[in-house]
Amino acid sequence: MEHPRRRFSDRVFDAIPGYLTVQDRDFKVVEANDAFKRNFGDHTGKYCYQIYKHRPEKCEDCPVERTFRDGQKHRSDEIVTTIDGRKVNVLVYTTPIFDDDGKVTEVVEMSTDITEIKQIQKQFRDSQARYHQLFEESPCFISIQDESLNVVDANRLHRETFGVGYGDKCYTLYKHRDKECEPCTVRKTFKDGEARNHEEVVTSLSGEPINVLVHTAPLRNADGEIEKVIEMSTDITQLRQLQDKLSSVGLLIGSIAHGIKNLLNGLDGGIYLVNTGLKKDDRGRIDKGWEIALRNVRRIRSMVMDILYYAKDREPNWEEISTFEMVEDVCKIMKERAESQDIDFSYELDGEVGDFEADKQAIRSMLLNLIENSIDACRIDTNKSDHHLVVRLKGDADKVIFEIEDNGIGMDRETREKAFSLFFSSKGAGGTGLGLFIANKIAQAHGGSIDVQSEEGKGCHFIVELLRRRPDIEEIKENSEPTSGGE
Amino acid sequence: MADKKKILIVDDEPDIVEWFSTLFEDNGYSTISARDGFDGFEKAESEMPDLITLDITMDKESGVKMYRKLHDSEKTNKIPVIMITGVDPQFKQFIESRKQVDPPAAYFEKPVDKDELLSKIKELIG
Repeated sequence: MEHPRRRFSDRVFDAIPGYLTVQDRDFKVVEANDAFKRNFGDHTGKYCYQIYKHRPEKCEDCPVERTFRDGQKHRSDEIVTTIDGRKVNVLVYTTPIFDDDGKVTEVVEMSTDITEIKQIQKQFRDSQARYHQLFEESPCFISIQDESLNVVDANRLHRETFGVGYGDKCYTLYKHRDKECEPCTVRKTFKDGEARNHEEVVTSLSGEPINVLVHTAPLRNADGEIEKVIEMSTDITQLRQLQDKLSSVGLLIGSIAHGIKNLLNGLDGGIYLVNTGLKKDDRGRIDKGWEIALRNVRRIRSMVMDILYYAKDREPNWEEISTFEMVEDVCKIMKERAESQDIDFSYELDGEVGDFEADKQAIRSMLLNLIENSIDACRIDTNKSDHHLVVRLKGDADKVIFEIEDNGIGMDRETREKAFSLFFSSKGAGGTGLGLFIANKIAQAHGGSIDVQSEEGKGCHFIVELLRRRPDIEEIKENSEPTSGGE
Repeated sequence: MADKKKILIVDDEPDIVEWFSTLFEDNGYSTISARDGFDGFEKAESEMPDLITLDITMDKESGVKMYRKLHDSEKTNKIPVIMITGVDPQFKQFIESRKQVDPPAAYFEKPVDKDELLSKIKELIG
């Protein structure tokens, strides 16, 4: 008959959810609980390593062996295989059983199934890696800052754009400043834990200004204290550029309306002179009035052409142009117009200049704009009685060069510097601020440039240089950022 | 008839000077003209016109500056000034909000209605 006490400990032994075995010095399993038997089968006459690991000999690092050797408890992480081939992660604890002489006779090994924990750990690691990847590859600048505004972590885009060295101050990286910005949103977020948005202009490593929308948020530890602040900045430079463009369209409309009002005023004047001239049968007055009317109609026409060119923002329509023929044609038209204003018009064109590649329509209107500008500069100049205008055409192997020189009102330094800005006009009511802007834009679209030399009261000298061969389109785009502003 | 009333036309656009002088002369006034604010102020002082039409948007010296100079000079501050502006109507409000300068006698927006302009001149100087 079994001892009742013994039966109770057997029941406890069997009730333990882990895999419990008792092993002798040869690692033979001498006892095992129910859970073990269910998962690993009959252990009679078998060794631990055979059952758990399906191997022919003892494991190299065996916790049971260590307990036999030193009489201490040990633990280890193992992967074991059940009778039906299932891999189980187990946490193993070994405990010695001593005889009366204090010698270890057997070792109890308890293995707890931690497969689920292992899985959760793996999932955690995976998700951490995913978050890190998200952080790294986000298309915005992300930095994590400590309370002293040191950047302690930054994502790839941030590092590439601002060249982070960990521990650099935020304001040094973003703004190349020695002192903290005032106010600093990261600081505010540290203080009250509120997320914030604001807009900034920061400067990249290469000195490029970048408009950013900055979002700050607190990073709290397990106790809810704010340890770091994350700063995420989205590049909105393109958006701002688009906005600038839109607002310049608004300005353009205002400027057009203004220009049209002036031209209508001039037209009214011309009509008045013609009408009253007819009534009085005054031939001189009719001629004068008709001339004024024609001039203002012509100005309206060229303004409309300019607006169309501005509105389209088109790529040049490249073709081979006979330079001499085109310029001569333009000069013939403009000579008549200049001489009707008592302006002496001459041209010196090199007949050997040859062909070049360009948008014929655009180059024509560029030349017309420039010459018209010079005619106006002479017409409104009251300080001299003799006015002249010279157009020259030259060329070398790589370039064709157009020059337009007049002795009109000229420009002071400020006017010269703003001459090609959108909506800047020095002609008061006479100008829309579009002509030279468009002329310059056309030259730039062809990879060329317009230079102006001028002195107030003395006249202007415009020099247009265009490449003979179509340049690389990308290069042009980089070099012809819109010039806006002006007056 | 006694001496014709004299009008000074200040505008940097020759077409407008041509138009206004013909228009005013046709209606019994004599005219003189200036192309910018400097010249305009000089002529106002030396010729003492009965009325001035003044363009706002001129390059060299703006109409606003010239108006201020006319206003500050004892000699010329009684001459009625008609401002001709291509700028939007808000300009009128702006000028009138300046306390140190009295508003001009009248404003005309471009394109100018010639009949209204003439009747205003008649009202001001006869």
